[in-house]
Amino acid sequence: MTSALLIAVPAAPLLGALLIRAAVRTPVWADRLNIFSASVTAAVALAASALGVVQSGHGLGGSWYLLDRGGASFLAVIAAIGWLSAVVSPTYLAGSGRSFFTARRAREWYYTGFHLFWAALLALALVKNLGVAWLLVEATTGASALLVAFSGSTNALEAGWKYLVLTTFGLAVALLGILILFVGLSPHGGTLATLDWQSLAAHSAHLSDRTAVVSLILILVGLAAKIGLAPVHNWLPDAHSEAPPPVSALLSAALLPTVMLIAWRVALTLGATVSHHLARDLMLAFGLASLAIAVPFLWRRMAWKRLLAYSSLEHMGILALGVGFATPLAAIGVIVHVAGHGLAKSLAFYTALPLARHDPDSARRAPRGLSRQSPATAAAVGISLGALAGLPPSPLFFSELLILLGGVTAHETALVTIAAVLLALGFLGLAHALIETLAGDSHGRRWAVGRTVRLASRLTVAIALGLLALSAGAYLLVASHAGVAIMRGIA
Amino acid sequence: MTGAAIWGLVVSSLAVIVVRRRSTAIVLVGAQALGLGLYALTHEPSASPAPMVAGTILITKGLLLPALLLITTRRARKERLIVSEPNALARLAIAVSVALAIEQLIPRFGLLEAGVEHAAVGVLVLGILVAVVRRAVLFQALGFLIAENGVYLAGLSLPSGLPAFIELGLVFDLVVVVSVAAAFAAKIHERLGSGDSSLLEVLRD
Repeated sequence: MTSALLIAVPAAPLLGALLIRAAVRTPVWADRLNIFSASVTAAVALAASALGVVQSGHGLGGSWYLLDRGGASFLAVIAAIGWLSAVVSPTYLAGSGRSFFTARRAREWYYTGFHLFWAALLALALVKNLGVAWLLVEATTGASALLVAFSGSTNALEAGWKYLVLTTFGLAVALLGILILFVGLSPHGGTLATLDWQSLAAHSAHLSDRTAVVSLILILVGLAAKIGLAPVHNWLPDAHSEAPPPVSALLSAALLPTVMLIAWRVALTLGATVSHHLARDLMLAFGLASLAIAVPFLWRRMAWKRLLAYSSLEHMGILALGVGFATPLAAIGVIVHVAGHGLAKSLAFYTALPLARHDPDSARRAPRGLSRQSPATAAAVGISLGALAGLPPSPLFFSELLILLGGVTAHETALVTIAAVLLALGFLGLAHALIETLAGDSHGRRWAVGRTVRLASRLTVAIALGLLALSAGAYLLVASHAGVAIMRGIA
Repeated sequence: MTGAAIWGLVVSSLAVIVVRRRSTAIVLVGAQALGLGLYALTHEPSASPAPMVAGTILITKGLLLPALLLITTRRARKERLIVSEPNALARLAIAVSVALAIEQLIPRFGLLEAGVEHAAVGVLVLGILVAVVRRAVLFQALGFLIAENGVYLAGLSLPSGLPAFIELGLVFDLVVVVSVAAAFAAKIHERLGSGDSSLLEVLRD
């Protein structure tokens, strides 16, 4: 029963992609089939996630899957963001102009790529093997690169190409690391199962120090290129700002954290065997570098989606710090942060739809004075950017606090101090952007309440409630022993 | 693996860094995969099916992916000289010096033959360097294939080979990524009238 349910998680969107590609002839049916397939997928994935959260011990293991509490939380986030993006996509496609594809086929290609991308992400949260995880991460690149360039503009082509090249080469480096690890562990199997997370945890102590160090560095650096951690983040601002808003949401809120889950598993399973806390130091260095590089950009007035892209860099830096601190408190912070960032960032990207519809220049410059032009859009901007900045009662305020406290319990006080200063500067930068966007001078007329504004308004209410529920949930998690259970499951 | 075969791989990777014609570079990269595939099929027959699987996959890859890229070059107009690129000698010098430096940084990791280890890392690094020093998008796509050939070279030197699932998954991923890269190359050529990736450097902060 469990196995069938978990197979259905990636199979549902795969089937949806095939049906849309093969059977649909009209845009209306493509939209309907997309919503239907997305709803089935989300329901199945959320059921599987619930199963993972309520189980006890090290998680549910099967022939190809491992469902622990940490992985189940990531699965729920991927399911929720994927469903929201699927629901928003018809509104985007109705207003999109030229495309990478011919006008007749654009919608089919978009939905096919979208569901294949989502399927790979869902499977990634479930797989129990590092080698298979690598294949799925590479598959997400293949499925999503054309989505990034979907608009077909020169800028979108540049962003898509840069994304394809940089992440593929990063993953080639990670593959070499996996191969070295496989060579080192050959005496303990030499089969695919050698790369299972549980096998890695059990046998990595037998690796020579040199093999463990080289493979760990190559794997984490390669995955960092896909997560978009500084200094290997060059593709991230371009891809997030040029992709269609529903795809940007899926990239930022689901893809980056899911690859971070793989890096987390690697850091916990291999890191324990490598001397001098190398895995921890690498993740902390990536985290601090990402924060330091992102924060100055948060102070600059820039186009809405580009600002969100740099905010993603900042938040991936925070997650890397949480993974690096490797304490139960930080682990709870990471889980809450992934969920809170996912909800807030996706709302922020969906808000780009009314912005693009009523203020096309917002693709190239910072929007201003939204509260006078469209109170509903201003509410969406206010809630999403306020939450991303970590303004209480945003769950990101609590998650950042938990991660920093996790750092204190790991005796990394100096690093926590630097990170806290950078987070405070980032908060001020985003707060400034928020005030300018809502209350800055604007000479535009009031917007009509059309399809995109109505959609943003509904999503704002739903996501605001979700964010409040998550803040309340953070209290409950801290009071429980969830942190230890999450770390035990991840490793 | 013989020294001549290993040197063949390294030299053909270096050749992709200097050659001007796209078709020549595609043939060189295809020949790399075919050579690796033939080696897997013919060398030291063992009870394990791994070399047979790897050889078949490599030969298929060596025929299929270059054919796909050749079709892409046929559809695109004749490539103009890309002036933003350093000259061939400078490219070669950069590639050789960076590859040698990285070779020194990566210690031995446990394959039986030291030469194969060095060559595998060298070919992977040269694949990445092809994308750095060449400006034509098609050459950058060829860089993927060269880098993966470096990984295959190391995989073939394992006593039990790579697991068949990983081999098949790798080639599937590679077909998808190279197909997507070919679609990009064609679209970029259509939009800009050139495959010069330096024309795609507008997005900056």
